[in-house]
Amino acid sequence: MLPELDVLLRVAMSLTRNSADAEDLVQDTLLRAYGAVERFDGRYPRAWLLTIMRNAQVNRVRRRRPELLRDPEAGDRILESQTPHDSAEQDALRDAFDAAVEEALEALPDKFKRVVRLVDLDGLSYQEAADVLGVPIGTVMSRLHRARHRIRGRLGDTGLLEGGPR
Amino acid sequence: MKLFRRGSVADRPLSCRQVGQILQSFLDSELDEVTADKVAEHLEDCRRCGMAADVYLEIKASLGRDAPAVPEESLSRLEEFARRLTTGEERET
Repeated sequence: MLPELDVLLRVAMSLTRNSADAEDLVQDTLLRAYGAVERFDGRYPRAWLLTIMRNAQVNRVRRRRPELLRDPEAGDRILESQTPHDSAEQDALRDAFDAAVEEALEALPDKFKRVVRLVDLDGLSYQEAADVLGVPIGTVMSRLHRARHRIRGRLGDTGLLEGGPR
Repeated sequence: MKLFRRGSVADRPLSCRQVGQILQSFLDSELDEVTADKVAEHLEDCRRCGMAADVYLEIKASLGRDAPAVPEESLSRLEEFARRLTTGEERET
């Protein structure tokens, strides 16, 4: 079985907000997975691994101080490079828009933020996000939808929606 | 998510309210094909819903750009760790 390590690492970074902790969490997940592989039915390996990761993370948080998870500065936050053909004006608009979206995201309650990160940043499906968080899929949907609605509302307040990147 | 059965209400166009309820699932490709086609049709025709969808798409794209890059060194170490696990070396150390 070849686990999707890049997906696991990305999700772990969303959960821990720190690249060193994320690496440890993936290692922990792999160890648990290989220990339990005989009980795995072979279906949905990604969902299986994400559920294991969730349990591993719950155990880690229980052992450690919670403020490590709340540190928004932790982890590498490298923005992807922009498309090379954009004009300087478009670049500036996009930067302003991205900064406002990020600010709106950070202003959300943690439980909303976590769902947005898993779906929009890590590219998980609703079911996969539900597996990671240990909540029903309906909860993922409602949190995600309310989070995006709030982000949109906040962007509207800044007037940036008119000049968003096209 | 399947909201409509073929041959029943699936033949009717969606209202703005219905689209609003499933727009996020549409943008996340979480709808079945029949429903997704109907939402897409509505967004083509309805300027208000179409603009709302555009805004949410831009927010989604922006969040995607905000994703931290996966650290290559971490990934390499984890690949090596996984390899050692599968070959039994890791459990011995």
